[in-house]
Amino acid sequence: MNKFKLFLLIIVFLFGLINIAGAEEGVTDTEIHIGQWSPQTGPAAPWGAVARGTGVFFQLINEEGGIEGRKIVYHMFDDSYNPAKTKAGVKQLQESVGIFAWAAGIGSATGLAVKEYLMSKNIPWVGPCSGSTQWTNPPQKYLFSIYPLYATEAKALCKYAVETLAKKKIGIIYQNDEYGKNGLIGATEELKAHGLELTISIPLDVETSDIKPHVLQARKSEAEAILLWVSPFHAVRIVGTGKMMKFSTQWMTSSTCSDFPLMYSLSGGLWEGVIAATFSEFALSDVPDSPLMLKYKEAFKKFASKDERWSVFFWAGFGMVEPMIEAIKKCGKDLTRENFVKQMEGIKDFQGVAGKNITFKPFDEKDPSSRQGLNSVFLVQCIKDGGTKKLTDWMEFK
Amino acid sequence: MFDFVQMLVSGIASGSAYALMGLAMVIIYKTSKIPNFAQGEMALAPSFFAYMLIDSYHLPFYIACILTFGFSVFLGCMIEIIVLRKAQKSNVLGMIIITIGLEMILLGFVSWKFGAEPKSMPFPISPYDSIPMKDLIKGTDLIIGTLELFTFTIALILMIIIFLFFKFTKFGIAMKATQQNQVIARAMGINTRRIQMMTWAISSFVGCIAGLLVSSITLHPYMMWDPMLKGFSAAVLGGMASLPGSIIGAYIIGILESLFGGYISIEFKSVVSLMIIVVVLCIKPSGLFARHYIKKV
Repeated sequence: MNKFKLFLLIIVFLFGLINIAGAEEGVTDTEIHIGQWSPQTGPAAPWGAVARGTGVFFQLINEEGGIEGRKIVYHMFDDSYNPAKTKAGVKQLQESVGIFAWAAGIGSATGLAVKEYLMSKNIPWVGPCSGSTQWTNPPQKYLFSIYPLYATEAKALCKYAVETLAKKKIGIIYQNDEYGKNGLIGATEELKAHGLELTISIPLDVETSDIKPHVLQARKSEAEAILLWVSPFHAVRIVGTGKMMKFSTQWMTSSTCSDFPLMYSLSGGLWEGVIAATFSEFALSDVPDSPLMLKYKEAFKKFASKDERWSVFFWAGFGMVEPMIEAIKKCGKDLTRENFVKQMEGIKDFQGVAGKNITFKPFDEKDPSSRQGLNSVFLVQCIKDGGTKKLTDWMEFK
Repeated sequence: MFDFVQMLVSGIASGSAYALMGLAMVIIYKTSKIPNFAQGEMALAPSFFAYMLIDSYHLPFYIACILTFGFSVFLGCMIEIIVLRKAQKSNVLGMIIITIGLEMILLGFVSWKFGAEPKSMPFPISPYDSIPMKDLIKGTDLIIGTLELFTFTIALILMIIIFLFFKFTKFGIAMKATQQNQVIARAMGINTRRIQMMTWAISSFVGCIAGLLVSSITLHPYMMWDPMLKGFSAAVLGGMASLPGSIIGAYIIGILESLFGGYISIEFKSVVSLMIIVVVLCIKPSGLFARHYIKKV
């Protein structure tokens, strides 16, 4: 090899190195790699619709030409709601494909399994699909939470039960994990503010199928309102068994059980009258869809599989990642993780199909609200045929 | 006192569903010495088959039910002929792995075909209707679920039929003979292959009834996990080779769970059955009601 060829080889090698050093992981001139985990199988599979909704949203964006000439490559995997599988899947995708940022992700325990890993590598994660306090307390620079805290939802329900429905004896049946305990904390705090205490708090194991002892205890307490911080399966069974046991109370529940058409159908109509907290303005029977929602519905018809149902969980998959897409758009050609975080921090009063005035702030390790985009919920009630009636305006808790 | 009786009734109701699953497991174990871990999914697949007949082909529930019973018998036979008969040379551990594999295949198929979203089975009896037993105990309003009473009745009828079948029919006696010694049974002219096949068919049929009853509450691919676990626990507690043992074991578990949840800790209600099993097996390894045979070589 003569000297000239050797010189050319070195030049090419150096240019290659510069190019590698300059590129952000998961971003090329034509692609942006975004990942998400979700349960597509297992007991939590109904919530897997969120991740499929995100997929349709990304297909819509790609069809419109992508963002700055880049198409989104979406990597969604099934973790069966099993934290061990979440951890393995995230590591495998991150270290083989190279993901630019992670979107949503269903579940508290599953998210907690990968939180440390993602944060230690400075990988952005936007919109964990759970209202746990673990995402923002303490706040993390690369983690942006949108989902209102479960404690916020419980507070809103208790406030309504005490102030509007004039209930004095309020109880809770809660799943014995991160999700349920957050609801318990919120209910306890809000009732304390009203000079009350929970009449009864009944833990429920997520695997159990016999819930009669729980309902018997609730009935014995004579609670006038019972909060259900459990899975949709358990919630339906509790309400049904309550009817069987002739236990008449006001059932109230979190946004995770706010898919009224599904709950109404599963309970054989017994879900009518149940009050739920929610943060999707468009889940209402008497309010027409916004132009944005109509556009999403069209995308659903075009891209979703024929067996898919247009449900609150499905369009939550759009809502949880809208701010992420907004920030990517604002980055323009300069799509680096640092710039992305900067653009996320600049999001103020963002209005998509989920939530109201989503706002983030520059990172402050002492201020959880710098990474909690949404603090408001409103209450809805299930009416005939699984329809939705709005009970309150947005209720904000900070 | 009223609370105690209500909890007792609830425990008996839960025990009936566990008893059906326990029975199904023991029937297979008695003749083949295999703990069948696919039992739950063998109940699941026929339940979804019934749902498909009703939902897609608009058949009346009772006709769909009869066809589903046929399907469950066919499924049991096919599993025995296609899979287990071919793997007869495997040891017990190998057979257990095969049943776990079958469980995954059936679960995967059901999830793929019907999706993970829960469905409502149009069962003629609502799981949330009840029969008030006012003043059954003076001054109280005891409540028994209609479906619970139905499940208890079905379980009772099935238990009697199975008992009579094993005690008095030629086929039942042949099954017992096959369980005790296959080689001698074959020498006595019993077609042990057919016996094995029919064992799986009967077990699948009993499981199918349990599946249909469970599906009346919610129909989804994971609905049989808990009943299967409790049924298996009941079978182990009563003795894997004892039909009455599995039934009594199921009612013990159902009642103790209910009372434990009511009086001690509702949080640990689900694990009480496993705790009981550990204690019982430490004291009596073959279970409460099975005879402990020692093989002499």
